[in-house]
Amino acid sequence: MKKRTGAIMLAVSLAVGTITVPTVSVAAEGDYKIAMLLDSSISDGGWGASCYQAMVDAAEEMGWETAYTDNVATSDFTTVMTDYADLEYNLIFAPGNEYTDAVIQVSEEYPDTYFCLLNGAVETDNVISVMPDAEQIGYLAGALAGLMTQTNNVGFIGGMEIDTTKTKLDSYEAAVKKVNPDINVSSAYAGSYDDAAKGKEIANSMISTYDVDVMFGDASAVDTGAREALADMENKFSIGQPGDLGSADDEVIICSVVTDNAALVKECMEAVEAGEYGNKTVFGNLDDGCLKVGTFSDKLVSKEIQDKYMELVEQIKAGTFIEK
Amino acid sequence: MKTKNNLIKILIPVLSILAAFVIGGIIIVCLGKNPLEAYGFLFKGALGKPSKIAQTLEVASPLIFTGLAASFAYKCGMFNLGGEGQFIMGSIVSIVVSTQTGITGVPAIIISVICGALAGGIWGAIPGILKITRGLNEMIVSIMLNYVATLFMGCVFTNILRDGSVPQTPAVPKESQLSNIADGFRVHYGVVIAIILAVIIYYFMFYTSKGFKLRAVGMNPTAARFNGFAVNKIILAAFICSGAVAGLGGSIELHGKQFRLMQGYGAGFGFDGVAIALIAQLNPIGTVIVAIFFGILRKGASTLQAGMKIPTSVVDIIQALVIVFAVAGTALVRLPQVQQFFRVHFSGKRRGAES
Amino acid sequence: MEAIMNVNFFVQLFLSTIRMATPILLVAMAELYSERAGLVNIGLDGIMSMGALIGFLFGYMTGNPVLGILAGALAGIAVNMIYAFCTITLCAEQIVYGMAINIFAPALASFIYRAYFSDTSTVVQGISMKPVAIPLLSQIPIIGPLFFNHPVLVYLAYLLVPVTAVFLNKTKAGLNFKAVGEYPKAAETLGVNVIRQKYLASTICGALAGIGGAYLTICYTSTYSEGIVAGRGFIALSAVIFGRWMPGGVMLACLLFGFCDAIQIRLQLLSPGTPYQLLQMIPYLCTLVVLVIFGIKKSGPKANGKPYFREER
Repeated sequence: MKKRTGAIMLAVSLAVGTITVPTVSVAAEGDYKIAMLLDSSISDGGWGASCYQAMVDAAEEMGWETAYTDNVATSDFTTVMTDYADLEYNLIFAPGNEYTDAVIQVSEEYPDTYFCLLNGAVETDNVISVMPDAEQIGYLAGALAGLMTQTNNVGFIGGMEIDTTKTKLDSYEAAVKKVNPDINVSSAYAGSYDDAAKGKEIANSMISTYDVDVMFGDASAVDTGAREALADMENKFSIGQPGDLGSADDEVIICSVVTDNAALVKECMEAVEAGEYGNKTVFGNLDDGCLKVGTFSDKLVSKEIQDKYMELVEQIKAGTFIEK
Repeated sequence: MKTKNNLIKILIPVLSILAAFVIGGIIIVCLGKNPLEAYGFLFKGALGKPSKIAQTLEVASPLIFTGLAASFAYKCGMFNLGGEGQFIMGSIVSIVVSTQTGITGVPAIIISVICGALAGGIWGAIPGILKITRGLNEMIVSIMLNYVATLFMGCVFTNILRDGSVPQTPAVPKESQLSNIADGFRVHYGVVIAIILAVIIYYFMFYTSKGFKLRAVGMNPTAARFNGFAVNKIILAAFICSGAVAGLGGSIELHGKQFRLMQGYGAGFGFDGVAIALIAQLNPIGTVIVAIFFGILRKGASTLQAGMKIPTSVVDIIQALVIVFAVAGTALVRLPQVQQFFRVHFSGKRRGAES
Repeated sequence: MEAIMNVNFFVQLFLSTIRMATPILLVAMAELYSERAGLVNIGLDGIMSMGALIGFLFGYMTGNPVLGILAGALAGIAVNMIYAFCTITLCAEQIVYGMAINIFAPALASFIYRAYFSDTSTVVQGISMKPVAIPLLSQIPIIGPLFFNHPVLVYLAYLLVPVTAVFLNKTKAGLNFKAVGEYPKAAETLGVNVIRQKYLASTICGALAGIGGAYLTICYTSTYSEGIVAGRGFIALSAVIFGRWMPGGVMLACLLFGFCDAIQIRLQLLSPGTPYQLLQMIPYLCTLVVLVIFGIKKSGPKANGKPYFREER
């Protein structure tokens, strides 16, 4: 019996032995690699999707290799970043300020790996923060909502009460009121980024309770659900973000506020290649082209309103739209 | 006969896990990747270097606590599915103590951890009280309380204890954090506490009269009642202890690893703990081993995924397969038919032969 | 305040209640069948997520919502067979298998979605089941739009409640079915094939939970996103216990839950200052409070959750 146990042990250890010596392909000289992690999914049709697309687009232009890990639990942020650092990825893209602590910790342990923190406020030797201007996003959406509403009631759906969402809501409201002080803004948080059914329900209740006719959202798949509710009714509109979600003959999306995260990620990649990474924050706004007005639905938005809106956009760009 | 049983007890989970890995390997082959290379990444990521082993233990630490919490209640026949809520309530009270009272250093850790355990215990007592006074099903009450705790935590980090503009609480001050066991290794003393706790629970359950009563209630509450045991009191005590262990785990995870509450904190630990406790067949020492195995799997799976560039869901599938096979394996050998088969074929002279 | 003081507000409120209660009701009925045969299945979330994905996918491919829902049902059955085999034939711990399904099925669903649509980041628009207005009845003011203008699946879900009640209480097959969950050994001696009944229960459970999932991606919305199930399976599980394992009670529990959720969303709109998490607690707290007041002196089927060893005599 001892013999047999021994034989099994030997076989097992042999098996383990053979599989613990993998051949890790060493990246060739000049080959750059970027990895991103995400606490949601890359196919959520919102934040995760646009960040993933940004990385892929930027990497394609720069000829970098990409990798991603999505649906990462909060407790595993550091684990995943450590893994990519160990695998000698040059740049790790962390799209959101929830990764701040983990980025700080891992960037200290791996000084030779570079980190790009979206919406962050960390500037060290190997961390660059990237900051699309949430205030301008809110203004852009608010101005259009203000021009488009006929019922003088507009809505906003947030996913979670995070600071960028709060900023967007505040500036959205400010911009709406600037266009017409009589307009009311209703807002609600879904408490989720992926419960599309809840989004539909919130939109329905906003319409039935407050007669809302233009909506803007910052809640990924929840927004998709809200748009479905709007699509079922006449003269109810939605403003898309962060990608250019609409088209010239769209029935619901009047226009999108587009954040070009790819340009921001690309800037970080260039810094890595140039060897001068770190200690700065890259801002993204209308001025540098990282924020843009998307495609208008010509079917829903009259030429007149489009022109009026573009005037306001110029004011927002110049900083004269709302004086602080 | 006993050695044979023990051998089977160990061998079956091992074989089941191998079977799960084989199926996982087939999936990886279907994706056009080399499964041996993939599993190489898994082991390398979890156990390849001493520093990796340390990280694996750190990943396992909260799982040990929630696993112990689950097994404690189940030994008494109570399905406590509220580990997550108790874990979170423990963390909430702990963060308040550690950031708002001004106490720092070791006293802060001790007070904070005790308060965390108390909070977990109180949260755990609710399903217990409702069970014995109103006859409410403990599963549903504890699940509801998970949602309430998670939402309450959301309220704490977005409103009550918000740290500036970001929706998260302030971090536990540096001097009140649990230190790492050795420099350069990312594993804190919480793991040691977890293992000591497991030994204490093991001793309590199997070597004390109170532990015996607890198990007796779990096995047959009616018989226990006829024997004059205060069944209700024992049930309530089991819930409180179970909740306290989970709350302690939350508090330690907070002081050792995550340092602050934010979106997604603690999600999934409760249910993982249930799975771990049941795979370990409610044995506290077994719970530690299974939890560490889960730690290896989680840590290694993340390296595997990153290294092989396969969808994250594949490693989740492999993890679920491990649970499916491990439990199916242990259940299989307990089936009367299979036991009979063993008796017929492996008794007498050939007793002790494996499998 | 004027927003509350009109009829339309209440009509909309009850409409959302019905919409939100329907998926929970379908899945709760699934669990009811399962538990009546002594199988506690906490893997409902997992089964739903497979139903949601496969239903969506088939609806998308065939353009036919009915086929999508049927496919969702089949997918639910397939997933639940893992649970059934392990818990019925191998007599393994039911709670663990529920957990395993909850980890396994959503991962598999996400994997299939990625495999089919590759790493796409655009939202895929699927098919949706249109409401069917019942002639005449839907013309009645207030009551018409409230009860007689829904997708077919909604009518079927509510029809399932009386059907189940009659089946379990008035038919011989139903009484045999219940006996399996109460006294399996006695049932066996009376000639009921306990194992077969349990498999039957698992099949019904898988199908209904799969349909519940498909409802989310075909009737409720017409897109699929990971996490769309959002814990509804656990709510359904509670609804069964809350409803004391009786179809009518289960339906009331689901409606209460749907109502609390509908009101919660409106309260958020009416009181923007309140932390939204506190309002989102309402459905859960309400369930707890109602439970505490009414209590459950009657516990569930007696052999619930216990494995059945046929050889043990």
